[in-house]
Amino acid sequence: MTIKNLYKISILILMTFLFSGCLGKGPSYTTKAEEFPKMYDQKPRSILILPPMNESTDAEAKDYYMTTVEIPFASMGYYTFPVEMVSDIMKQEGVYDTELLYNMPLTKFYDYFGADTVLFTNISKWDISYAVIASSLTVSIDARIVSTKTSEELWKYTGTVVVDLSGGDTGGGIAGLIAKVVIAAINTAASDYVKHAHTANRRLIYTLPFGPYHDKYLLDQDMKFLDQTPKS
Amino acid sequence: MKRFKILAPMAIAFLMTGCVEQPKPLYNYGDYSDSYYASKKNVCTESSLELQKSIEKCIENTDGTLSGRVPPGMYANLGYIYLKGGNSKDAISSFTKEKTMYPESAHFMDRMIKKIEIAQGPKNDN
Repeated sequence: MTIKNLYKISILILMTFLFSGCLGKGPSYTTKAEEFPKMYDQKPRSILILPPMNESTDAEAKDYYMTTVEIPFASMGYYTFPVEMVSDIMKQEGVYDTELLYNMPLTKFYDYFGADTVLFTNISKWDISYAVIASSLTVSIDARIVSTKTSEELWKYTGTVVVDLSGGDTGGGIAGLIAKVVIAAINTAASDYVKHAHTANRRLIYTLPFGPYHDKYLLDQDMKFLDQTPKS
Repeated sequence: MKRFKILAPMAIAFLMTGCVEQPKPLYNYGDYSDSYYASKKNVCTESSLELQKSIEKCIENTDGTLSGRVPPGMYANLGYIYLKGGNSKDAISSFTKEKTMYPESAHFMDRMIKKIEIAQGPKNDN
């Protein structure tokens, strides 16, 4: 191989990496603009995060989860209303029930808070399975961003995240396996839920177009991700 | 030849690093998430104080972030804590800061400030 050839190959490799970004090869991809064109049409600046609906069997999932939603959405560049304060204010206004909140006319959120959009989330599954080989937490979440002005759905996510709770390798043998289960049980101590919810959120948020406080605002239309529509 | 010398290591570097990149966070939340959670889990004066501390830290420490800004909602959070503690003056000041930094919150913050002023009565002397 001549130096010239090497040079050409180097350039090719560089170009491929530069253009492909970090995407691997996969069957079906879609882009943010293709999937969520209304986000780019309406250009919402703010999101009012409502307390999640909890349809899972874990009664406390809602409380755990609620403390984790604000940061990822703000970090995507949106103005997020202070979750705890908003939830308190709603109660003061006599809205205690999440279900009631979810059936309120959307214009109310605009009138009261001045919010461009509302985020509805539904925890459909929050299950821990303890097993000898691998314990895991399965979290299924639906999230929707809906415009308070047009009532249109601007973005949505439906997905399940499985978090491995087996805390590292504890060595072989039966003793090791038992230790693993014990570690899993310890790992799922309540405080760690927050950590797992963060993992779930990172996956969830990936397809959301960047908001006005992000430096990639309106520059990510062509960003690709795995098309999840057929799975539903 | 010279160009090759530059490009080859670059190509290798791209191959080696793969997709790992560690961008700066937009905001610095510190341990806000943890203390927020703890305050929900364990409702007591101590955990509320911890939460307040972490909110104050968020506001003070914006170093090393991409935005250099206080995260959205933090001034409002602090203002609301002041309000619940009966400190109307500082509450209004925090709500005003939230509004100035994030105009998206103006409608809501104005509503809160108005509420406080109404509760204080017609005489605005505190």
